[in-house]
Amino acid sequence: MTRGRRWPRNWRTVGVRRGVQIALLLLFFALLILAGGVLREGQSSWLKLFFLLDPLILLSTLLAAGAVPKLLLLSLVTVALTIMLGRVFCGWACPLGTIHDLTGRLLDWFQRRTQRDHWSAWQKTKYYLLAAFLAMALLGGHWVAIWDPLVLLYRTTTVALWPAAQLSIEHTAAAVREAAVVDQPLRPKWAEEDAAGQVQQQSSATLKNRLARPVAAVTNPVHRFLKDNIFVVQRQSFLGAGLIATVFVVLLGLNAVRRRFWCRYLCPLGALLGLLAWRPLLRRKTQEQYCNQCDLCGQACHGAASTAAGSGWKPSECLGCLNCTASCNRQALGFTLVWPWRHQPQVETVDLRRRALLGSAVGGVAALAVMRVAPQARQTVFHPQLIRPPGALPEPEFLARCTACGLCMKVCPTGGLQPTLSEAGLEGIWTPRLVPQIGYCQYSCNLCGQVCPTGAIQPLSIEEKQQVRIGLAFFDVTRCIPYAYGRDCTVCWEVCPLPEKAIYTEKVTVVDRHGNATEVMQPRIDIEKCIGCGNCEHDCVFRDRPAIRVQSANETRHRKNQPELAPPASTDPYGS
Amino acid sequence: MHCQSRREFMARSAATAGAMALGASGFSGAALAQDKPVEMTIAKWAGVPKPTDEQIKQIAVKLTEQAIEGLGGMKRFVKQGDVVWVKPNIAWDRTPEQAANTNPEVVSTLIRLCFEAGAKRVKVGDNPVHQAKKSYEASGIAAAAKAAGAEVVYLDKERFKEVDIKGQRVKSIPIYPDMLDVDLMINVPIAKHHVLATATLAMKNYMGVIENRRVFHQDFNTCLSDITRFMRPRLSVLDAVRVLVASGPTGGRLEDVRLKLTVAASTDIVALDALGVELIDRKLDDVPHVPAAEKNGLGKTNYRSLALREIAVS
Repeated sequence: MTRGRRWPRNWRTVGVRRGVQIALLLLFFALLILAGGVLREGQSSWLKLFFLLDPLILLSTLLAAGAVPKLLLLSLVTVALTIMLGRVFCGWACPLGTIHDLTGRLLDWFQRRTQRDHWSAWQKTKYYLLAAFLAMALLGGHWVAIWDPLVLLYRTTTVALWPAAQLSIEHTAAAVREAAVVDQPLRPKWAEEDAAGQVQQQSSATLKNRLARPVAAVTNPVHRFLKDNIFVVQRQSFLGAGLIATVFVVLLGLNAVRRRFWCRYLCPLGALLGLLAWRPLLRRKTQEQYCNQCDLCGQACHGAASTAAGSGWKPSECLGCLNCTASCNRQALGFTLVWPWRHQPQVETVDLRRRALLGSAVGGVAALAVMRVAPQARQTVFHPQLIRPPGALPEPEFLARCTACGLCMKVCPTGGLQPTLSEAGLEGIWTPRLVPQIGYCQYSCNLCGQVCPTGAIQPLSIEEKQQVRIGLAFFDVTRCIPYAYGRDCTVCWEVCPLPEKAIYTEKVTVVDRHGNATEVMQPRIDIEKCIGCGNCEHDCVFRDRPAIRVQSANETRHRKNQPELAPPASTDPYGS
Repeated sequence: MHCQSRREFMARSAATAGAMALGASGFSGAALAQDKPVEMTIAKWAGVPKPTDEQIKQIAVKLTEQAIEGLGGMKRFVKQGDVVWVKPNIAWDRTPEQAANTNPEVVSTLIRLCFEAGAKRVKVGDNPVHQAKKSYEASGIAAAAKAAGAEVVYLDKERFKEVDIKGQRVKSIPIYPDMLDVDLMINVPIAKHHVLATATLAMKNYMGVIENRRVFHQDFNTCLSDITRFMRPRLSVLDAVRVLVASGPTGGRLEDVRLKLTVAASTDIVALDALGVELIDRKLDDVPHVPAAEKNGLGKTNYRSLALREIAVS
């Protein structure tokens, strides 16, 4: 029996790890919130830092689109770190991992953990899922990216968590503010003196008002500060936020089955990093002579990396949380740096079956094929409501790159960019589309292309962006007021943001039911000018189904979706 | 075009107030002869003919000061300790040069004058059509108002309250309550073309205190009278430093912008709007909501019949 040094107990290191996790989680949210508050060009790339550290996005963009977005090369830092230290990204940095840890802690209050958390062969699921996803990526499918943990958290935060937080705060603040105000008919305060004779009776404060006042004295300024500095954009709301939130809640709920269920069994990024951590330099070593196989380490393990009490250890599953070394009462566990070629019997690999990997890949291809058995995927029919943001690549290339992270939706100042549900098929779920009724494409804004981390929406200058047609507006003459009811309206004409408006009017004489002829201005659309921004649809008086609607027809990115012959060239194209 | 109108203006000034040296500051109009308080002032630039953008900023300040001074100073409207809401037009994500929003220097000068007259707080805000933050910033008004010490207020869409305004056509409409809960609102529109109303001026600027304004378009004449009557305008200041004569209200093309270098102030909102119609080179008949307001008893379109001061500023 060889004598070995006892390892120092390192609770302090675990404390540092927890501090780092919380700090990075807060940083993640802070950056995302800041990204939503910057409404001008020149947003800093730092705001998407976490995204750029994600090697899975780099890999999927490379496989699917054959492109390497330069900024994403930063993720090689994560690759290098993982090769050396193992999956420390999962254990120390991943904000979704931290949320899973916190959920586990919460569950600890209600649920006593009885099951022994050792390696389960089901943990191989994530590798097989990764194989299926990567096979899809090779054929241009982006599903690997939409299940990336960082993307998932970006999307969920943008679409559900943040709007819900904002709503709760705003509604609470509003309720308190309203409760503090004496309820009486509103009129201009300066007009009170004018009505010299009739002095208006002031209602007196009720008990409710008096109780609410001291609360409002605190909440009003706080809310005002939040509104002016953090909630600078009007609260966004998203179609299908419920589904996105449900997916998230289910993933968190799985912690009740096994802690960090997502990280152990499902996470494709975790699988990728697990493959990189096959033989890391930093390895766990058990001084077996001190180990009494109490398995405290096994119970504290985040990743279920040990195969049995005290001994076997799978680096691909280890999240580097250091709980094991801290929990060992006999100081029998520790981590050391070891040359990669050194073989250690305690260090085990995950025995992935070649046949299973191949089967998964075939499954992935089959799944993608099924998704693409949709008329739209043939690029001969186009969904009228699939209005992609300006600068979006043609659909197949767009889908190959888009991760559905929702950054574009976050920064869209009008909140018009919404996650798709069925418009882009199952393949394109949660990718962005413009819903003009909710928010239009702001004429002087190009932020979506600026923030897109993979170039699915190309960064355009404002001038270029103003030339891009994302759709075309159509009148519904059965609803449009001047057409259907013979009255003036033309709000659409007023709000059209093009300097030379794409909407013009024609004076038309109409006859009402009594036979009286009146003149109204009927709006018309100039197909050569309309860029499909949707300002008109957004401001139409009809709020259920606007009488002017933008549809994807005529979009610049698809020649086949353009109904009209291009206008004659101003110069001789044959160059004679 | 604007050269000619200046000549006309000079001729008129000379006729009403007697001989007046070109380029000198002076007062003219009926007000001088009568004891009646001045009801309207028109301050017009008579200095260098082609000012640079930087000079225009200083001119806007001077014009605003003179227009208010001519009415008897801000003290006439603002008491010690008052809270004032300055209501410019900040509807669009456009720059000052594009003349789709009120000139920021006019706004900041008014804020300063309010404070000098003893105002405790001055708030600035509008209900823009475009995204609020973009409009406030692009217009230059957010920065100018902040620098002048005012509170820049972004309206909270959820706070609009349905108010019974008892109009002919508009019975009730959501209004921003804080805009009513002040001692004075100064309505500061820019004079510009509007595709539907032909002109958007002071009365039309009240569209920024309400929500759900799209329905107004079906009967501008009555709706604008309704909201104006409810708002009881006391002081309106018309910014015609730059005006937009076509493609309004959104604008965006510099070819549609004319330099008029004029600021007018009035207690009669209809008179001010009638002047605005002239300043964007239209006739009163083209802008039916202005004569309609006169018919509804909200003021006089013939602003020359008021106690008027015309001031040449240089």
